[in-house]
Amino acid sequence: MPDRTQRTEAGAHTTPASVSWPIDLSHVTVRYPNGVTALTDVSLHIASGEMVAVVGLSGSGKSTLIRTINGLVPVTSGAVRVGPHTVSALSGRPLRALRGHIGMIFQGFNLADRASVYHNVLVGRFAHSPTWRTVLGIAGANDRDIAMRSLESVGMLDKVWGRAGALSGGQKQRVAIARALSQEPAVMLADEPVASLDPPTAHTVMSDLLHINRERNLTVLVNLHLVDLARQYTTRVIGLRGGKVVYDGLAAHATDADFEAIYGRPIQSRDRLDR
Amino acid sequence: MNAAALHEPDVGQVPAKPRGIVVRLAWTGVGVLLLAAFWDLGIEWGRLVDLPADLLHYGRLMFADPDWAKLPEALFQTWRSVAMAWVGAVLGVVLSTALGIPAASGVGPWWLRLTLRGLFAVIRAVPEVIIAIIILTVTGLTPFTGALALAIGGIGTHGKWTYETIESVPHGAAEAVRASGGNVLEVARWGLWTAAAPELMSLALYRFEINVRTSAILGLIGVGGIGDMLTGYTQYREWDTVGVLIIVVIVITMSIDAVSGRIRRRIMEGATVRDLDRSP
Amino acid sequence: MAATELAVPPRPRVWPRIAVVTGALVVITVLTTLPTLGGVEVDLDAIARNWGNGAERIGKLFRPDLSILPRTWEPLIETIEMALVGTAIAAVLAVPLSLWAARPSNPRAATRRGVRLVLNVVRAVPDLVYATILVAMIGVGTLPGIITLILFDLGIVVKLVSEAVDSADASYMEAGRAAGGTQTQINRLTTLPQMWPMFASQVLYSLELNVRVSAILGIVGAGGLGRLIDEVRGFYRYDSLATIIAEILVVVILIELLSNFLRKRLR
Repeated sequence: MPDRTQRTEAGAHTTPASVSWPIDLSHVTVRYPNGVTALTDVSLHIASGEMVAVVGLSGSGKSTLIRTINGLVPVTSGAVRVGPHTVSALSGRPLRALRGHIGMIFQGFNLADRASVYHNVLVGRFAHSPTWRTVLGIAGANDRDIAMRSLESVGMLDKVWGRAGALSGGQKQRVAIARALSQEPAVMLADEPVASLDPPTAHTVMSDLLHINRERNLTVLVNLHLVDLARQYTTRVIGLRGGKVVYDGLAAHATDADFEAIYGRPIQSRDRLDR
Repeated sequence: MNAAALHEPDVGQVPAKPRGIVVRLAWTGVGVLLLAAFWDLGIEWGRLVDLPADLLHYGRLMFADPDWAKLPEALFQTWRSVAMAWVGAVLGVVLSTALGIPAASGVGPWWLRLTLRGLFAVIRAVPEVIIAIIILTVTGLTPFTGALALAIGGIGTHGKWTYETIESVPHGAAEAVRASGGNVLEVARWGLWTAAAPELMSLALYRFEINVRTSAILGLIGVGGIGDMLTGYTQYREWDTVGVLIIVVIVITMSIDAVSGRIRRRIMEGATVRDLDRSP
Repeated sequence: MAATELAVPPRPRVWPRIAVVTGALVVITVLTTLPTLGGVEVDLDAIARNWGNGAERIGKLFRPDLSILPRTWEPLIETIEMALVGTAIAAVLAVPLSLWAARPSNPRAATRRGVRLVLNVVRAVPDLVYATILVAMIGVGTLPGIITLILFDLGIVVKLVSEAVDSADASYMEAGRAAGGTQTQINRLTTLPQMWPMFASQVLYSLELNVRVSAILGIVGAGGLGRLIDEVRGFYRYDSLATIIAEILVVVILIELLSNFLRKRLR
């Protein structure tokens, strides 16, 4: 287990003029080309520096919601604002530049398994480097430094030259976090980051995210389907059901009954991480 | 209704399993065609009786005392065929990759995809010999024609393999690159290429293996190489030389297959074994 | 930039491997394109020079000469018949050969390896080479063509089927052995039925390939459309060639559709 104090020091040094953006959705509706309406008239405001959990069953619209924030999914109507930018109005190069400030980690880790951990983390610098460098994988000294420090802050520096595919699930997710951190982001998005991990590893990753939120005052949005993780690691819970927001309150005040209302069914053991 | 009737169905009333009438018709049709074919070809079955003896006779003429003096020439011509196969493979892979990538779903627009896939299917249906015949009006009876024919003909299958491989790559890594702000080139390089590369390289090498065989065939219509030499000596019935040529073809083809097969296995295994090598 | 020193582990040197592989590829490509060494002369000049001439002839491909159609029927039917007969005979021969070549159905390594070796050798000779030699041996006609197709098919079908039998779950054989059956009995009653879908699928696949091959076997005298192709190419009648190519395409696509249809319903 990496030494927490070491990581704190490293974290402090890698934070640049730390920006942290609020997220704002106003009357967002998302309808896919196949006719499915994933989100209906969703309005949310997330202040900068908040750590928010979005909970709901699969099909509730969580994945769509989180992807409207960095524009991976276009909105059919309404507006999405991240910091000073209106995501829904951007496309092409400005959108890519904006994404460079939004870090994202995924349930499936989404690493290039056959590439080295180093090159995977460098992906985070793509929006900030010229294309010839990124395609050839030859990073400038600054980018290299940032990547190394990000890896160090998640305790994976010793694996930097190894293949990403040779790592365990928890290690891969930490590399993914390092990738996101090397973007020096103003917002961190996490789409079901621990759904594929066993309980101890899940706790490690969640506490890493919490740590990042507290250390850098970074706005963090996490999609979760596990009740106890939402309560333990986040300060605010937003519940989605059928593409609509059905709950929005402090995590400390969210009762089991509240979660049952969000899910539309009684809490079962699979909704808890630690049974 | 007594208890027994409730538990044991009257077997006579259980419906017979439907036997796919259309499928049976199709097979029957094939069978009928087959019989008709045998009859229509009018093979003189009498000749068949002599056949083994004939083949043995020629076999002896070819292999009992092969004319090893022709070996250097045979090896040189084989080199020309292999060179044709290699150049054809390089050109073919370049063209197939350029055309196969837009043909993958998720890359190009639907009409482009359909056109390209149709093109591949058409090329696949045309034998390379005919492609060579067509292009030799422009390039003449030279090994270059052979290489071009192999390249163009290869687009049919290798193009298909290319887009199939690309489509089989999991989408996650590409999404991550896009989410970090990567452009199309970066997504392709790190979200696609790293995953697809081993298989694409292995297929390219396999393409070369196939080309080695086809190059001998193209030689038979005169583009040069071992096929050319074979036609010549067969026409003049110089069986002892023909024997040498067959032996050379077999040995070279099997060697290239073995070496290439080993390299391909290493490429693919290197890709998977290292992934499985989990660290604690 | 930063005050703390990072303990970055040393970078392993991957460059040598990539350099060697790239170097080898470049060297081979160069060697194969040097005419003095017997390589392929990539003569783009010739293309430029002959383009006018050739383009005009190639242009004829797009104006097919339909008047040749009546002359193509008989050779076309002959081509299809050769393909069918060749596939059928090969299918019959392939059954015992596949069983001999697979480990579960033939535990005796010597005969198994022998069969595999012979088939590897047979596969190493291209189809038209067989045709050329057979024509010189037994004369022009469909017989050398059919024999060529049989050899071609056996090479493919036996390999694929025996590999499938090898990798399949052979536990059903244990039951047969436990009940006291001989290898032949086991083969007949258990392996064959298990093998049948895979076998039929490969036979249909080889039928598809056969039609393509038998269309051109005639170029060396082994029957079918090939003889006609040879004739029209000698006169540069590419308009007639276009018609023949179109016919081949139609037949190949039809056989492919039929084959796909049957193969899907084999499970």
